Parts: sequence; C-alpha cells; structure tokens
Amino acid sequence: MLFTSDSKVIIQGIKEPLGAVYAPLMRDYGTQVVAGVSPGHAGQSLDGIPVFDMVEQALATVAADVSVIFVPPYEVLDAALEAIAAGIRQLILITEGVPPLDIVHLLRKAEATETLVVGPSCPGVIVPGKILLGTHPAALYRPGTVGVVSRSGSLTYEVAHELTQSGLGQSLVVSIGGDRIPGSSFQQWLQILEEDDETEVIVLVGEIGGDSEEAAAQYITEQIDKPVIAYIAGHTTPKGQAIGHAGAIIAARMAGMGADVGTAESKLKAFKQAKIPVATSPWQIPELVHQVLQAQQAQQA
Amino acid sequence: MDLLEYQAKELFQQTGIPVLPSQRITHPRDLKGLKISYPVVLKSQVRTGGRGKAGGIKFVENTIDAVAAAQAIFHLPIMGCYPEVLLAEAKYNADREFYLAIMLDSSTRRPLMLGSRQGGVDVESKLEHMQQVIVDQEFSSFYARRLALKMGLEGELIQSVSSVLEKMYNLFIQQDLDLIEINPLAVSATGELMALDGRIVADDAALGRRSNIAAFIATIPDTAPNLNDSPRGKLTSDLKRVQREGNIGVLCNGAGLMMATLDLIQNAKGKTASFVDIGGEYRHNCPPETLQERLQQGLDLILADKSVKAVLVNVLGSVISCRQVAEGMTFYLRNRKNTPPIVVRLVGDRVEQAAELLAKSKIPMTDSLEDAIAKTVILAQV
Repeated sequence: MLFTSDSKVIIQGIKEPLGAVYAPLMRDYGTQVVAGVSPGHAGQSLDGIPVFDMVEQALATVAADVSVIFVPPYEVLDAALEAIAAGIRQLILITEGVPPLDIVHLLRKAEATETLVVGPSCPGVIVPGKILLGTHPAALYRPGTVGVVSRSGSLTYEVAHELTQSGLGQSLVVSIGGDRIPGSSFQQWLQILEEDDETEVIVLVGEIGGDSEEAAAQYITEQIDKPVIAYIAGHTTPKGQAIGHAGAIIAARMAGMGADVGTAESKLKAFKQAKIPVATSPWQIPELVHQVLQAQQAQQA
Repeated sequence: MDLLEYQAKELFQQTGIPVLPSQRITHPRDLKGLKISYPVVLKSQVRTGGRGKAGGIKFVENTIDAVAAAQAIFHLPIMGCYPEVLLAEAKYNADREFYLAIMLDSSTRRPLMLGSRQGGVDVESKLEHMQQVIVDQEFSSFYARRLALKMGLEGELIQSVSSVLEKMYNLFIQQDLDLIEINPLAVSATGELMALDGRIVADDAALGRRSNIAAFIATIPDTAPNLNDSPRGKLTSDLKRVQREGNIGVLCNGAGLMMATLDLIQNAKGKTASFVDIGGEYRHNCPPETLQERLQQGLDLILADKSVKAVLVNVLGSVISCRQVAEGMTFYLRNRKNTPPIVVRLVGDRVEQAAELLAKSKIPMTDSLEDAIAKTVILAQV
C-alpha cells in the first residue's frame, strides 16, 4: 500500500491556522508526523512537533515520505516544488484557491519525478485505523475493504458515514479535490485501489462539470477488474448556476463548445455503458456495495 | 470572470496582437467626437454571448446614424444585461475568418490550443474543422506551428498565425487566464491578420495576484440582481445565496454535499427556494470560529428569502465540530421569532453534545440525511 502507518509525514505550513489545527489531529490519529515547516519558525515546536524553516533542513534530521501542505494558495506551488527538490514524492495539497496554472506547472515537474499529488482544495487521504493525511473527520471512518475516490470534500465524509453506518469499513478514502485541474486523476486512484490488496470494492463519487467521470468510466471498462459503484451529485443543478466549484461553473460556461460532456446525463450514460451501477442517493451506496460483494462471493463459490 | 471585449483588446494590444483602431463610447453624444473614420462598427460591451444575433452590433456610415444606433444599443438588453459602454471600431474587410483559442483542459490537465480555418459566428456548428494541440511540456513556439499546420495553413500564414498564438499563450500564462479566444481572427486578401473580436476569461483564484485584471473587473457593473444583501451587512463576499422557485432553504458545508442535497430534495418531491454553501473548509487561514460566523451569515441570507417555509441545515463536521454548529444555531435562533421551522442534520465529532444543546432549544436534529430530507419536505408543505 502507498500510505501505511509506517509512512513518515511532514507538514508544510504547520504554523498557518489550518495546519496548526490539523497537525496535532493527524498525529493523534496515529500518523507519524515527524516535522513541520514554516519559514521563520525554526527551533519552535507545535504540540511536540519540531518546526523547521525549510524542508531540506527538516530532512537533514528526520526522514519523510509524505508532505501535507497547508500554506497560503499562492505559495502552494513553491512549497510543493521545495518538497520535490528535497526528495519527497507524495504530496497532499489541502489549501483551496490555488490558481490552476500553478498546478499545471507542478504537474509537469511531478510527472518527471514520479511524484503523486493529491488536491488541491481537498481533505486529503485517510487509511482508516492507520493514517490520516489531511482533514477527514476521522470519527466517521472505520477500517474495511471499500476504497473511495471522490472529487468532493464533505460529500466524501457523507459517503464514508453511510458505509460505516451499514457496517462497511474503508480501505482508503481519497478526495482528489473539486478544482478544474486536480493533482491526480480518478484513473490514477482507480489503478492504486485496483492494486491494493485491502480493497475489494471501489466507490467513485463524482459530480457534474468536466469530463473526469466520463474518462473514469472508460478507464474502468478497460483496466479495472474490481467492482466499482458510482454516485454523481448535481442532477438538479441547472446549467450555468454557480454553486461554488470552479469545475462545475467553467463546464457550464464552456458548454457553448458543443457536446453535452459534463452534465449528469452524460456521466450517467458513460457509467451505464461501462455497466457500473450508479446509486441514486448516498444511502443507496452501501446497498449496492453489499450486492456486488454477494455476487462476487456467489461467483467464487 | 469574463472581461469585456474592449478590455480583452487592450491586453491584446499590449502584447502585440493586431487590433483595429477603436474608441470607447459611454454616451451616444461621445460619437460626435469620434476619431475613427467611417464606416464604423458599434458593439455592445456585455459579458454574455450572442450579442450579434440579439442586435448588439451595428454598422454605421455617419454620425447621425451612429448616434441613433448607439441609443438603440444602450437600450437593448442582452440576456438581461444592459451595456454601460459601447466599442466603436473601424470596419474591416475580411477575406477569411479563423478561430483561435487557448484554454485549460481538465482531462489532460494541460493548456489546450484550439484553431479552425472556419471561424466566425457559426464556429460551434463547424466543430469538425476544429484542430487541437495539447501543450504537454514547457511551451515553445513549435506547439503553435504544430497547430497552424493541423489547421491546414500554408506559406506565410504558418508563421503569422503561430506568432499570434504564441502571444496569446504568453497572455494566458502571464495573466492566469482560464480562456483566451480570438473569433474571428480576420485574414485580409493580402494575408494581414486582425483580431476582430476577443474573449478573455480570467481565473478567479488568481485575481489576488493579477491587479490589472482585478482592476478591469472592478469597472464592470454587476448587472445581475444582487443576492448578497445581508441584513447584517457584514457578509463575506464569497458567500452567496442562489435562488430558485420553491419553498425550502438549504445550508450545507461544501459544494458537492450541496449538489447532492438539492438532488435528494427534488427526489423527495420538495422544491428548493434558496441555498447557501458555507464551504471554505480548506482555506489555509480559516479557523473554526470563522466557519461558525459563516453559518450565521448563511442563515441570514436564507431567512431573508420570504418564500422559504422550511430550512434544512446539513453539515458534516470536520473543521466545525458538531458542537460548534449547535452552539451557533442556538445562539442565532435565541433572539429570533417567527422563523420557519429548521431541521438540523449533523454528523461528525461530538455529535452527542450537539444533540443535547439543540434539544434544549427545541431545534429538531437528526444524524440521518434521509430522515432530515423527508422531514424538511413535509414541513415545507404545511
């Protein structure tokens, strides 16, 4: 597995308000938070976590595999490049409001160095019972075998909550963020969950706007053997009505370009073609997961 | 955020993309001092598309016609928007019209350059001519030439069109744009290029570091009805109420959760009147207290809508713990009378304490979304 209880984690922007709240919460969950970075705060500590001015200084005293980044939006690109330069290959960007062209810039570097980027504008990753890399409300999650990949934040918590309530734990839950240019794609995470031994079923939580669900549906048909359940939010969101996600808004604006890619109908059609069951509500997701698990057991018997 | 055509053209001119001599007109009488020679095109400066078909573009031959035409355009709403400014521009004899654009492509997560030799008003019906090139690595001029060749250009047009594309790309990066479009890019009989119309969509997230773009946007009056009038008048500008024809108010934390909640209300045969996303959970500087304040401001916005007969508050607590939401709700409703019934659905940390607090204030609470929606829909029908 990519992230385990052995992963060593640093927090960039540990002295920013959000970082200061979540660094201790992550550590209390069992995550090995080995250092924090906030320029100008070297020598201090936050709740026992030592703070450094730069990533490379932190790495001179501790080893780290992952950086969770809470710096202000226009500093995210620089912080991420700093972590890559210091040799960290797993980045979780929590901060919202990062200009998309900064992510394009980061991705060219990340792809060249085989760095995994989660976010921006997301609660990050949780492997229940093992590691929290971000801001997921841990109380709603339980260890188990359902992998969840989502574009949303709080809707991801909702899905995890429904699964947990019906006795289904999660192997890994990741929110890739609702920005138009996310650091990692549905396809990347589908592949990670496909290869993860703990994961038996994958739940994909999408929303209107963009074409990432359509692309994911295609990818599932071609590359994924594990059963996948989908859920799409935004059926009743009228075209062009602003809700808050850049992806959804721009897709509506760009709709003038022709095809109906981005609408709920287009996404439903893609999942139907890929023979992926689509839940009509968050509370229907556990039902569908139980169904595919039973079907699988029957097949194996 | 869309810029107006004249603003886009100012940026074009600064970067060396050819544009026609033009003049901004804020009143029909300005045409008497017009410095461009006739014939002239008058164009409504609104942010919505389709202005040509709506009558927002007129060709005029003399001052008398121009004043009359300007009066007509100032009084012509386009998709509900009246222009504050017209652009008077020299008329150009185009031999051919091309289409060029650069935008962010979310599937490849790279800038995408688009080009077509069949530009103009009907470009959308001629998408089969549209060519594309993805700028997968650091930009270099060859990406522009690659597109020019794919468009089927030959001879000198290869270099001249690529040169315009390269300038567009520079603007795209330097100004943090979501979209830059020239349509049409006129080609004269002698092969000269001219950007006759242009569209620039600036990225909202980058406005804080692009002061020139922010200054442009500040001059554009918001012609849509202002939904941000908070009774308390201290509303953060990004919190907004979206209105529909219904009787249920909805407050959620997060856009995805909001969209899902609206879907579920409609599935349960309920109709949404107003909804507010208090979001902001991943703001680096957003401590829990601020989110509690946003909750109260969000309630202000929803309750200002008099068509609201029932309110659903659906919050999954991570930064805001359930207790803080419960405290915020209790405090908010303490001194208020005659509010419509409010259903609180809370899940997250310390939910038991929250339940206790809300029970004391007789505010119904549930941890089941299904129940919360059913309850809200019934309350709205009473």
